[in-house]
Amino acid sequence: MDIDDILREVDPTFHSVPQETRDLQDLTRAWVAERSAPELLHWPAGGLFERINDNIKRQIEKVEEMTGDMDPKTNFALIVIQTELERFKYLVRSYLRARIAKIDRHTLHYLSTDELRSRLSEMELAYATRHQALLHNHYLSSFLSSFPPVLQNLNDTAGNISMIDAPDLESAVFIRLLKDTLVESRGVDNDGEMDGRESDIVILRWSDAKRLVETGCAELI
Amino acid sequence: MTRCATWRPKRKLNLLRSIIRFSPRLSSPVQSQDSAALIRRANIVTPPWLLHPVSLSSIINRETKEDPVAFSPPPPPPSRAIPFRTRHRPALGREQRGCKPRPAVPALLHRRRAGRISTITLARGSRGAARRDDMPAPAGEVRSLMRDLVEVRAAKLRSSTSAFEGFGDGLMSLTGVGAMELAESRGFVLGVVDGVGKIGASAEATRREGEEAGGRRDDDEESDEDMGI
Repeated sequence: MDIDDILREVDPTFHSVPQETRDLQDLTRAWVAERSAPELLHWPAGGLFERINDNIKRQIEKVEEMTGDMDPKTNFALIVIQTELERFKYLVRSYLRARIAKIDRHTLHYLSTDELRSRLSEMELAYATRHQALLHNHYLSSFLSSFPPVLQNLNDTAGNISMIDAPDLESAVFIRLLKDTLVESRGVDNDGEMDGRESDIVILRWSDAKRLVETGCAELI
Repeated sequence: MTRCATWRPKRKLNLLRSIIRFSPRLSSPVQSQDSAALIRRANIVTPPWLLHPVSLSSIINRETKEDPVAFSPPPPPPSRAIPFRTRHRPALGREQRGCKPRPAVPALLHRRRAGRISTITLARGSRGAARRDDMPAPAGEVRSLMRDLVEVRAAKLRSSTSAFEGFGDGLMSLTGVGAMELAESRGFVLGVVDGVGKIGASAEATRREGEEAGGRRDDDEESDEDMGI
């Protein structure tokens, strides 16, 4: 134990990471995970996006204020702030687009059960519901209405074959372990397991990796 | 993963109110058309051992001769790293308190121990070698060694997919591979793994059915014995 450890015990805020930096890290992690996972992940809890949106709004106002200033020092600061703002906006945009692409592809699947519905944010849920309703109306008016009524459903499960397309949970993902843990996986010829060490990088199926990622033992990369 | 550069201070940016708070070690970038001047003035640091032909050839030797399959070991994770400098200790404390570590392992960015290689440093090194003119050895030699190293590791990553050829156990460890190498070969590796999985899907289903049937038969036998038949 050295002086840092003692200080940390006395004052938990010692060396603590500022909230803004933690938000950026959480956003980056959520973005990477969302882009690598084959299915939609949970919308981040704890008001992360509200905080980030507030920050972005505040920063845009600041940029507008500073644009009027002709002082070269302010100009340099403006470049740095604008660059940072663009970076934040890029992350947010790319994250939301990755989610919307998944929702678009499997809308009915994500609207089918309450568990899946709870993964969407309020706006996403509204978007998915409305998008699906529009699509269904369009299909009805263009061709479905000429089908017999029993064949008009888009979520038919007759004959043990569901019409609802679901994401492929068996596709492979890369994960990095954050803790020493046992990694189990199902394979074609036999099922494998290994004692994973922290910061090991492993390829396995998403259905096997999901448990590790959800418990925080691993992160998607 | 998006944070790859280590900056050293020249001027402080404390006065700026940015969304994230800049760490005091972050220096201000200088606008310049000349990239070499930019790198020098912004003070992006390339580990010295990475620009030296001796250490480079020793890594290539290890990658090709000593262990032609596995990658060189990565830098130790933050919780196991020996703190070289006191100011890097907070990472250790956060880990112990159960907080999440940063997206990029700080060890990848800061530790500069020869032999423990990460592609972030490797990419930074090749950029440095392309632009620096005050290197300890002839630039051409360093560049060609660096290119060899990058190619050897990329070839290893590609050939590692052969582990899946025999329909293995669905698990493959790639420890030591860097984030940027992974990004480069992601499409290829995932394509092979998914493709092999699809080809073997019916074989796998048959095996699982067989195992389940076997398990059921065992249960039946036991219950028969219990009943004394």
